[in-house]
Amino acid sequence: MKPESSLTNAKGPAVRVKSISQMDDRTLGITWTDNESSRFDVVELRRKCPCATCIDEWTHEQILKPEQVAETVRPLKIESVGQYAMSIQFTDGHKTGIYTFAMLRRLAHLN
Amino acid sequence: MSLIKSMQEKILGRPSSITEDMVRSALSSIMDPDLGKDIVSLGFVRNVVISGTDIKLDINLTTPACPVKDSIKTQAEVALKNLPNAGTVSVNMTATTRGQVTPAGSPIAASLGQVKNIIAVASGKGGVGKSTTAVNLAYALAARGSKVGLLDADVYGPSIPHMTRPDAPMQSNSNLINPPMAAGVKIMSIGLFAGGDKATILRGPMVSGVIKQFLTQVNWGDLDYLIIDYPPGTGDIQLTLSQTAPITGAVVVTTPQDVALIDVRKAIAMFDTMKVPVIGVVETMSYFVCDGCDKKHHIFRDGGGARVAKEFGISFLGDVPLEPSVATASDQGSPAVVSHPASSAAKAYTEIAGAVASQVSIIHEAYKDALNHFSIVWNSQN
Repeated sequence: MKPESSLTNAKGPAVRVKSISQMDDRTLGITWTDNESSRFDVVELRRKCPCATCIDEWTHEQILKPEQVAETVRPLKIESVGQYAMSIQFTDGHKTGIYTFAMLRRLAHLN
Repeated sequence: MSLIKSMQEKILGRPSSITEDMVRSALSSIMDPDLGKDIVSLGFVRNVVISGTDIKLDINLTTPACPVKDSIKTQAEVALKNLPNAGTVSVNMTATTRGQVTPAGSPIAASLGQVKNIIAVASGKGGVGKSTTAVNLAYALAARGSKVGLLDADVYGPSIPHMTRPDAPMQSNSNLINPPMAAGVKIMSIGLFAGGDKATILRGPMVSGVIKQFLTQVNWGDLDYLIIDYPPGTGDIQLTLSQTAPITGAVVVTTPQDVALIDVRKAIAMFDTMKVPVIGVVETMSYFVCDGCDKKHHIFRDGGGARVAKEFGISFLGDVPLEPSVATASDQGSPAVVSHPASSAAKAYTEIAGAVASQVSIIHEAYKDALNHFSIVWNSQN
C-alpha cells in the first residue's frame, strides 16, 4: 500500500523559523517558513512569559503583573527549543519561559 | 560500425546527434511521486555523457531506500530509447540522502552534526512491538545501503542490546563515546553500561541527563538515519528528546485493539504539540497465519492502525503479522529482516522502511528553509 503524503497532521506542515535577528535595541525580528515576517517588542515578550511562575498552571490566570517588568529588561540570549519553540534568558534573571512558535505567531497577529 | 548501418547512413545521411537538452527534455516527463515534481527540475539527473548515439547518465535520488527506484529507472530507460537514433542507454541509480544541517557551535554539533535524519519510533503504551519495529526499521534501511544508527532511549527497559548483540566494547575517543556496531548499525543503549540484567533505578532528572549525554557525547558520525527507540508513553524522556535533538519525524507503533489505539492518539498529540511531524502509523501483531490451515487470524481485531491513521490524516505505513520467527530472531540477537528476510514480517518491515524513507524526503522538501537550531546573543545598549 502506498502512503498518502502527510505531515504533522491534516493541517499541513507547521511553520518554523527561517531567519531570526535583533532589529534594534528592543525589537526581535523573525521570518517564518511561510515567508511571513513578525516583529516582537522584547519587553512585551517578557511580560507575556508563558512559564508556570508567570501564568497559573491550573487557572491560566496571569500571576506576573505587567508593571513588575521594567522597561529596561532585555534578553541576554535567545535559543531554539526542539523544532517548535524558543527560550529567552532575560537580564532580570528570568529564563524559564518556552515560547512556542504557535504562540509567537498568535502574539504577532494580535498586534 | 556495421555495414548495414554505414549503408543506411550513406542513403539517409548521418543520424542527427543527441544533445543533452534532448535527454533532459525526454526525462522531464518522469515524476517523483513523493515530491510531486519531475526528476529534471528536482536536479536528480547528473553526469550526462553522450558519445555519438550512446547515452550514459546518473539519476541521484534522495534516499537509497526509495521504493520507486526501479520504476524511475525503467521509465528513464524507455524515454531515452525512444529518442530518435538512440544507441545504448545506461542509467545508473545513485542516492544522496537529504538531511538537516546542524550549525557548528550548537551543543549537539559534535555528536549529531553529521546525522542527516533523526527518526523517533514511539508508542502510547508498552508491549506493542516498538523496539522490534525500531530494530527492523534500522536494519532494513541499512540493508538498502544507508548509514544507520540506533539509539535505545528506553532507559528503564533497554531491549536493544539483547536484540542486536553489538560486538565491540565501548571506546572513549576524546570527549565522545564511540558507539559499538552490530551488523553495520551503530548502537547505543544504557543497557551497554549497566549490564543486561541490572535494573536502571533513576529519578527523572538523572534520566534526562543520560538522554542528553546520548545526544551530545556519542560519536554518531556520518549517518543517513538515526533511529531512536522511545520509551512508551508521553513523559520526561520523550520531552527531553524532542527538546534536545532536531527530530525529523516520528513513527508511531500500535497493536490493532482499542486499548492500544487510545494511547497511540496521545502519542500523536504529543508530537503534534512539539511540532514533530508524524511520519505515520505502523500496526504490529496484526494477524497470525495458522501453520495448519494458512488462515489469517486477526487475534487483536482488524484494521485499528489504519483507522487511527485515517482519523488524523497521517500515513498508514504498514501492518506486521505475528510470526514466531520474529520473536525467536529478536531473542537470538538477529532481527527478522536479517535472519528471516523471506518471512512476511520481514517483507512488511522492508516495505515500511521504504515508506518511511520517502516520507522523510517529503518532510525535507517542506522544511528545506527552516533553521534547525538557533542561538542569538542580544546586543544591549544599556
